[in-house]
This record gives sequence, structure tokens and C-alpha cells, in this order.
Amino acid sequence: MRVELHNICKRFGSVQANDDVSLIVEAGSIHGLLGENGAGKSTLVKILSGFMTREQGSLQLEGHEVNIKTPADAMQRGIGMLHQDPLDFPPLSVLDNFMVGQPGGLFTHRREVIRKFRQLAVQFNFALDIRQPVGDLTVGERQQVEILRLLSLGVKTLILDEPTTGISASQKDALFAAARLLASQGKSVIFVSHKLEDVDELCDRVTVMRQGRVVGNLPIPAPDAQLIELIFGEELAPPAKNSTCQEGVALALENITIRSDRLNIQVNHLTVQQGEVIGLAGLEGSGQQLLLQLCAGLLQSSTGCLQIKGIDLTRQPYQTYLNTGVGYSPADRLREGLVNGLSIHEHVALKTSSQGWFVDWKGTLKQAQTAISLFNIRGKPDTKVERLSGGNQQRTQLALLPVPLNLLLMEHPTRGLDIGSTLWVWQQLLARCEGGTTILFTSSDLDEIMQYSDRVIVFSGGELSEPIDAKKLTVERLGQMIGGKLHYDSPVMAKRSTKHPAKR
Amino acid sequence: MPQTRSFFRRCWRMVALFIATWWIVAGCSSPSVNTPTSETSPGASPLAGSDLTVGMVMVGPKNDAGWNQAHFEGIQEAIKQLPGTKLEYVDKVNPADRPNVTGAQVADDLIAKGAKLIIFNSDDFKDDALAAAKKHNDVPVLHVSGDYAWKEGKNFKGQPNLTNVMGKMQYGEMIGGCAAALSTETGKIGFLGALINDETRRYASSAYLGARHCWETYRKKPASDLQFKVTWIGFWFNIPGKTLDPTKVADDYFNGGYDVVMSGIDTPEAAVQAKKAAEAGKSAKYVHIDFKGGCNLAPDSCLGVRYYHWNVPYTTTLQNLKDGKPLESFTWLGPDWKDINSTATSMIGFLPGKALGDNQKNIDAFVKSLGDGSIDLFKGPLNYQDGSEFLKAGEKATDQKIWYMPQLLKGMEGPSA
Amino acid sequence: MISKISISRFNVYQVGSLVIALAFIAGVILMVGGSPLAVVTSMGAGAFGTTDQFARVVATLAPLLLCASGLLFTFTAGLYNLGIEGQIVLGGIAAMIPIRLFQEILPAPLVIAMAITAGALGGMLWGLLAGILKVYGRIDEIFAGVGLNFMADGLALYLIFGPWKKPGVASMSGTEQFSEAIWLPTFGKTEASPVALVIALSLLLLTFIVLRGTYFGLKLKAVGHSLRASYILGIPALSQLLSAFALCGAFAGIAGSLQVLAVFHRLIPSISSNLGYLALLIAMLSGSQAWLLLPIAFFFSALNIGSLQLPLSLDLESSLSGVIQGTLVLFALLGRGFSELNKSDLNKTVNH
Repeated sequence: MRVELHNICKRFGSVQANDDVSLIVEAGSIHGLLGENGAGKSTLVKILSGFMTREQGSLQLEGHEVNIKTPADAMQRGIGMLHQDPLDFPPLSVLDNFMVGQPGGLFTHRREVIRKFRQLAVQFNFALDIRQPVGDLTVGERQQVEILRLLSLGVKTLILDEPTTGISASQKDALFAAARLLASQGKSVIFVSHKLEDVDELCDRVTVMRQGRVVGNLPIPAPDAQLIELIFGEELAPPAKNSTCQEGVALALENITIRSDRLNIQVNHLTVQQGEVIGLAGLEGSGQQLLLQLCAGLLQSSTGCLQIKGIDLTRQPYQTYLNTGVGYSPADRLREGLVNGLSIHEHVALKTSSQGWFVDWKGTLKQAQTAISLFNIRGKPDTKVERLSGGNQQRTQLALLPVPLNLLLMEHPTRGLDIGSTLWVWQQLLARCEGGTTILFTSSDLDEIMQYSDRVIVFSGGELSEPIDAKKLTVERLGQMIGGKLHYDSPVMAKRSTKHPAKR
Repeated sequence: MPQTRSFFRRCWRMVALFIATWWIVAGCSSPSVNTPTSETSPGASPLAGSDLTVGMVMVGPKNDAGWNQAHFEGIQEAIKQLPGTKLEYVDKVNPADRPNVTGAQVADDLIAKGAKLIIFNSDDFKDDALAAAKKHNDVPVLHVSGDYAWKEGKNFKGQPNLTNVMGKMQYGEMIGGCAAALSTETGKIGFLGALINDETRRYASSAYLGARHCWETYRKKPASDLQFKVTWIGFWFNIPGKTLDPTKVADDYFNGGYDVVMSGIDTPEAAVQAKKAAEAGKSAKYVHIDFKGGCNLAPDSCLGVRYYHWNVPYTTTLQNLKDGKPLESFTWLGPDWKDINSTATSMIGFLPGKALGDNQKNIDAFVKSLGDGSIDLFKGPLNYQDGSEFLKAGEKATDQKIWYMPQLLKGMEGPSA
Repeated sequence: MISKISISRFNVYQVGSLVIALAFIAGVILMVGGSPLAVVTSMGAGAFGTTDQFARVVATLAPLLLCASGLLFTFTAGLYNLGIEGQIVLGGIAAMIPIRLFQEILPAPLVIAMAITAGALGGMLWGLLAGILKVYGRIDEIFAGVGLNFMADGLALYLIFGPWKKPGVASMSGTEQFSEAIWLPTFGKTEASPVALVIALSLLLLTFIVLRGTYFGLKLKAVGHSLRASYILGIPALSQLLSAFALCGAFAGIAGSLQVLAVFHRLIPSISSNLGYLALLIAMLSGSQAWLLLPIAFFFSALNIGSLQLPLSLDLESSLSGVIQGTLVLFALLGRGFSELNKSDLNKTVNH
């Protein structure tokens, strides 16, 4: 089915998620949608599949103007979306999930449905047991169930949202084969991804988005360099930071393995100096956060050892990390960084909790007021943190970090802050570095990484690069590494043990 | 997104809604409004001015077809007999039905409403009765089935305004046991017992004595051929999971060759299961208790029912109060041997059932001998279950010995405590 | 803090829900053939008509306050301690131990003190058990609590029918009443005990102080709002949760020991008398404000005691008071829900 989106606009608060976006997908083609996290890809496909409503713009299917307001509208018109986390019912069996939304009266014709399911599964070469609870399946298998379900409902345009994250190589092959088969049947497939290699392998055409806009539309194959330039923009700010490195190792990792649901991370060897700033670059969810949480003591390595200032903290409790001078500032401010429901004053008071039994409400009120003026937080001491804006929550979080610290781990230290505040925050952070604090931080703003890091580690799909001197980095190299080509011209240092080695 | 918080709040509210709804549903599901009787509705009594208000505290529901109903009907009958008396009552006074309410508190409120006599109808209330009597020492308190006011008893408390009343059901049990022994073909009698205390040991033992006597006298068989087994369920009625299931106990009796079951509990499981067993072609009979109409449950299988006429002591008590006479501190009333089924005079009665058939004449003879004193079953030699001596040869049991039997008798099967 | 709540919360929704609740209750009463006015007056008379009745209201107030105070700790920590009933029962059982052992040997005040302490320990043990199941066994505290309630009931029944039974008797009516010397002293001949009342009021005050003024209370609040964030901020979240369970259990255990010492003077199978569930409603209605517990608990205590008049004066089932109780709580919560909904909508529009 030919799908056209014209001049789509969508805004979330101050963020223009889609800014006059147009996209044409031909029937019988596989169309890639490429871009960084937050570039507006997901918003666009959610508008198409009825999960969000557009503010402006129009939709055309097979040349006819349509109005899609709900996912049911979209399904009725033949548009189905496979979500990154499949929207299924884990306790139910494969068959029951398949039957959800099937037409029919009060009683479903079970035998008929089983026949239909088997027929589709054979056609797409998916090996699924209809009786198994979906909760026991791998992500890849759950995708297969969902694809079959969507197809049985008569989908003519299938949207795949980041489908290759966390599935095995053979499952990826089966998925791609299925997509090609659909295209050959005259259906269209929209493939949303941030992985160059996947787009290269599968798509006929690609549209690149950046900051809510379409910045390019070209046929595949296309040169990687060109795509990366489109994804990240043409220029990166030059490294501007003077080294704050000092004598003495602050952090040493040896033969670390972190396991999580989606990623396994292996760090063979890493040492960081006192006062050093390490930027962790990569698309979100590539493993940066896991490394920060490991260093914070919130995750445990199954192997190896971790030392902070020469003290072995391997498998020590979180409290020991805190006592050793480790600070962690999470990105999810209202779930991890701050206690939703408590006021700024109460947060400040919590930080003084080693001082006896009774809270000195008057004294802590002064401290809260001082912090508010020092960190320029727009709020009152009794303002609950969830009522602060994102930027002010970030300032509050910074205000709560203890002084001094040996190791500071920050996720997106300036996300949601204006330029002035960003500069001010980094001023504070770099002052800490001068005092010997080591900082590891993640950011999706490559400028920020380049500007403030001494060295940069690039993450891609759980694999991480050797730390690279920021001054030696080029835009091209950084972009390609983020896109999955970590070992472009560098010796292998960190080898990953993920379920699916990159295929090219 | 304050997701965690709103999740918790939702949970919180759900729990609250659940409890609140449960309360409402629990309340609505038992909306059995006490139908006001002419005696209880204010202003209905003909002789205002000289009113005597009786306050009654009942342990179970007033319509339980058993112990409590017998009391409720008894006091109503007494009030009908005596113009100028009226009744205030609260039933189901037990921790399961009315949590946070004690019998003594109910007595307080009944007295506050003008009650001049308080009746507690269960052994469970003995401490409440004593407490109420101490607190309101100007109000007579009548405790049914207790012994705190029995000067010759073991637990005399010396509280002047506390009195006790009980019926000598041991005679009813003897007659019931006799009916069982006359009718059993297998020589095996099962006694479906409630909880274990002095009262229930007394009853089971009496039933055994009656059965053994009639087995030897009328059936002309040796006592050793008679099996008499007691199974206690643990309470007066079935509480699933906490007592034995009386239905199952009755079935086990009938399936195990016991063709007569004597009920000793408040509910009619023995009758129901006897009927079922009979319909399945088995020989199965039962002897009912407390509820005069018990034979109607399964007429073809019923050997008879032993029961109380509570109106007898209640009428006397009320009459004495009205006349300003002092109350008997301890009354233990037996049957009126002239006519044990006389509503007006006999505390204990026995109504024979259809299944008794020709044996009726033997029962009549047995009752007659009991009445004229030619037979005294509580006469030695009698031994307890463990072989120790209960009564020497020729010794007649005193009331104390009968009231406080620490064990079942030799020849009976089943636990004594 | 205090001044803000009382006025802003008492808004249209709260009053509206109260009116609807009263109308609903009146409807139910009419349906079962009663007169709403008669119900109100007779229940009022049943709670305050005589000294005895008023004393009973006060006597029931003590365990209610204790349990509701304990529950404030668990509510603040974001926990729904439905196991409170079992904790009361365990308190009652534990209180019996020193009484049985020492009532003949030691002076009565000492035995009483030991019984109350034992009650607190017993309840604490049961509360901690629920906490351990929650924290280490990953069993939701609601289910753990309900399960432990059954176990506590079973234990009480076992003791009453087994090791602690009256000599020669196996009956539900409870254990033998203990010597009058060990009964808590009361005001005159009534059932209200000044000792119980003083214990309850001082623990209520303690609850108020701990929750408002101490780091323990503040941390508990943080943990209750966000376990994850509290943990990351360095609060030992799990031990806070366990402490909340232990404290609530101890308070409930004291309530159980008072039920034994002041009300029943023995152990009975339903020693908790459903007061734990009633306390849950009280704590919920208070919205975690300790100072509101006293009036709310007093009201429900009066309702509870006054309900005996329904069968007595009006020939109505006293479970009708359960309907009244439930309806009031239901609509109060709905009213609050609506007013919060409205407030948060307002916040949204202000923020954007």
C-alpha cells in the first residue's frame, strides 16, 4: 500500500517533535527511517499508526485522504505497527495472543484460527508452539507472533519500530526474510532504526530525520559517510576543554561482565585518572547506563574486579560505594534521581540524615534556600519536586550531590537545560574536577561529549570502544562508531559477547 | 510522570474500596431483620405499670432449630403465661457473629433498657454472667447450664443475685440410648458428640447406660456384645476447617456398621445422613436432640427425640419474681414422670419416632421404671473408662458425681477429654 | 503543614460525597424497614446513653488508636499492612504467656507490664514476618498479611483447644479467665481503662512526633513515595520497610495485649474483634495525618459500640452499622479521589 504523509507537525511542550515532516512510502517497498534517538521517527510512525494525533498535516493511503485517530482506525485501514516492546499479553498462550482482535462474534472458531495461524507460520518460516505462554518466549519470537497477528488482520503496511534490538542473528534473518516477502506481495514496510548496517541490508530507500525534521531521502545503497553526516549534522564543536587529569588512578575496571535483559557488556580493562572526564557516547540504550550503574554500585559484575581510589569495591553493597565518595545522578529524575512527592526542603533534609534523630527543620530550611539560590532553582523550599520543570529538577539533583566526591557518574547532565544553564552546570562540574573528582557522563549531545570530555568511550549495541582522546576524534569517526562500526580503524580492545554479532 | 506514586495511590484506594465494599456486602447479605413479636414490641404488653422486663442473651441465632430456639420459644411461652412481662433480647452473642461485644456488655445495655432479670443461655457465658451479677448486684442474673451458684458444686462463687438453671437431660439420654439399643441390628451405636466438657460427658455416659440397660433387659444380650462409640467434632455445630465435619462423621458411622446414630450437636446432620443411607438400602436410624420436631426431618428413620421445655423453669422464675419471692439459687429439673411430654410441667421429654415401631412398649416400660425409682442406672458398681472406680457396688451417685464426671464410662469407646 | 490541609481538603467534593453517603445510608435503612432518624438517635444513645456505653467507646478507642497509629508507619512507607489482624492476635497470644507463667508468682503490676511487653514483641514478630515475606520472599504484603492472619487465627484456636484449654473442656469459648488482680484497672465499674487510654494516647503522640520530626519518619516517607529513588539517594530502603512492619506489628501487639488484659481477661478465638480492619479504614481516612486519627477513631468507635442498639431497640441487624461504616468510607474516598483528580487537572494546565 502506498502511504503518504504530508507536512506533519507535532509538538510536546517546548519540543517540536515533528516539524513539517513529509514521507512517501511506495507499495511493495521497504522504507528505512533513520535518525538519532529523539529525532522524531517514533512520533511520526505513532501518528501514522494512530497511537498519537497530529496537530497539522495530512495522510493519504493509495492516494486517498484519510483521517486516523486511533490504533483501531489504523488497523481498519491496513496499517499495523510492531512495537519495540511487543504489546502482547505475556501470561496468555501464543494462540490466545494471536486470537486477540480476530473478527468473529462472541465465540471464536478456535480450530479455524489454528489453521490460519499454522498456514501463516509456514509461509514465513516461523517455528512457534501455539500452546506456549508468550511470557516464556524470546523478544524475537514475540515479534513473530505479533507479525502473524497483524498480518492475519489484513495489514497492508507494516511498521517495524527498532525491531533488531535484542534478537538473535537467526531471528533477524527470519524477520528480514519476512519483510522482503511482504514487500514482494505488494505490501509496504516501514523500518525504523538507528542502525546503519540494518538499513543498508534491508531497505530500498531511506529517509533520515534530525531534530524533528527530514534532512535527507535517498536510495539504498548509499555511502555510510553521507548517512552519518545526515544523522549527526555536519559540524561538531571542537574539543575545548583543558585537561583536568591528575596523578593517581580513580577508577580501575578489570575483566568486568554486566548482564541485563537486553545487553551483555564486557569490559576487559579500563582505568580512569583522578580529575578526568570521560564522555560515554552512543545511541541511548547501548550500554552506557549499565556501565555508570556498575561504577555506582547499583549493578554487580559477575566477574572481575572494580577499584575506586585503590579500594576494591567488587560486590560491595551500594552503601559502601556511597561512603567511598561515589555519586550517581540518574537521567530518570522522577523515578530514580528524586523522590516524587517530596519537597525540595525534604530532599535537602534527607541529605543531612546522619545528624542525630530529629530533623532540624529550621536549619535545613536555610540550607534549602541557599541551595535554591545557589543553583538558581525556580521553586520554593516546599515545592514538590514533581511540580518543578525538568531543568529545575536537574538543578535540584545537582544541588543534592555531596561534596566532595571521588567519582561522579552522570546521565545526561544538561538535558532540558538552556545554554546558559548548561554552561553554568559544566562550570560547577569542572570545578569539581579541578578538585580531583572524576566524572563519567553520558549524553546524546555529541557537542557536549566533544566539548567537555578528556577521553570518549563509544557504545554500540552493548559493545564499547577503547577510550579515545577527544582531541583525536573526528566527526566522521565518531558517527561511524556510533552507527555500529566501532572497530573502524582501532584495534579491538573490548569484545562483546552479545547474542548477535554484527553482520555485514 | 508521577507513575510510581499514582500506582501506589491506586492500590491504596483499591484496598480501601475493597474493605469498605466487603463491609457493605457482608452487612447486606444477612439482612434478616428480627421480626418484632408482640412480646417484644413496646407498648404491646397489656399491663403497663407493673411491667417486668426480662433481658435475654442468646449465644446463637434464635431460629437455629436447636438449643437457642428452644430457649427463645420457652421464654416466649413463659411470657405468654404471665401478663405484665415482656422480653428484650439479643441473639448471636458470640465473637464470630458480634465481634467486640461481650455478654456482660449486652447485659449492661439490657439493664439500661429496664430489664429486671437477665438470662444467659449458654455455658460460654459463665464469666459474663458472674461479671454482670457483680456489677449489677440488684438485678437477678439467671445463667443456664452453669454451676457458679451451686453451693454444693465445685465452683460456687457466692454471688447472691446469680442463679443457675439446668435440665436433667441425663434421663432423656437414657431413654434415647434405650431406643437406640432396642433398634440396633448390628449392636453398634454411634454418638455424634459436640465439644467435650462435663455436660457432654454426662450425656454420652447416660446414653450409654440407657442403651446397655435395655440391651441386657429387653434384648437379653450380654453387655459385651454392645458397641457404643463417641466421636466429638469439637464444637456445637460444624465450623468448616476447624471442627470435624459432622456429615462425614455420620457417614462413617453408617458405613462402618453403626446402624443407629445419636445426635449430640445442634444441627441435623445425623438425620440427613440417616435418611440418605436408608434410601441407599442401608439400615440406618437416628435419635435427635433439643428440637422437638426433629423426627420430621426423616420420619422413617427417626427413633425419637429427647428435648427440653425451657418454659417450665422460666415460668417459675418469672412468677417468683413477680410475687417477690426469692429465686432458687440452683435448679436442676428432671422430667415430670407422670407425663414426660407435658408442656406445662416436664422439663425433659422424649417423643418417640415412627422407626421405633413395636419397641415403643419397651420404652414405655423403661420410662415407667425410671419414674417409679425401680431402676436407677447411676448405681454402682460402675467404673470409668480407665478402669478406676466411679461408683462402688450398691452406691448411688450424688448430683455432684453426675454433674462432674471426669471421664466416660467403662465400655464406651472415644476420648474423655 | 497542618493549616493548609484542613481548609483546602474540605471542599465541595468532600461535603458532596458526605451528603450522597448519608442519602445512600438512609435509603438502605428504609429498604430494610427502619427509620433513618431512629437509627441515628438509637446509635447515638447506644454510644453515649449511659456511662457504661461511653466507657465502652473509650475502651474500644484505645486498640483502634494503637492499630491506626501503627498503620500510619506502614502507610507512610507505602505498604498495605492487611496483616494487622494477625498481629493483634499474636499480641494477645504472647500476652497470655507471662500471665500464665507468673500470675501466681509475681506482683500483678509486674505481670501486667510483662504481658504488654510480650504482646508488643509478639505483634512485632508477626509484623516482621510479613515484612520478610515482602522484602525477601517477594510476596505482596497484602497476601502475606492475609495468610498470616489465617495462621494467627489457627494458632489461637490450637492453643484454646489444645495446650491452654480449660481442664476437662474443649470449647471455642476461650481459655480460663485469669485472676482479677491482673485485669487492667478501670474507671469505676466501667470497662474503660485509664492505663490503656494513656498507652494509646502516648503512642499516638509518639507517632505524630516520629513522623513529623525525625529522620526516621522522613526516610519512611521517602521510601513510601519511591523505593528506587530513596535507595539511590542512600536510604537503607529495605531496613526502613522492615522497621515500619515491626513498629506497626508492635503497636498492634500492644492492642492485642490490651484486648486480653482489659476486655476479655482471657484468650478467645477472635481476640482482634475486627478492630484491625476498622483501624485500616481509620488510617486511610486520616490521609496519613496522625492528628486526625483521634477524632476519626473516636467516631468509628462510637459507631461500633452504638451498633448494638440496632437489634436491641429497633430489631435491625447490627451488621447495618457495617453498611454505614463502609458507605461513609467509600464515599469519603471517592470524594477525595474526585477532588484530587480535579486538582491535578488544574496543575497540568498551569504547568503547560
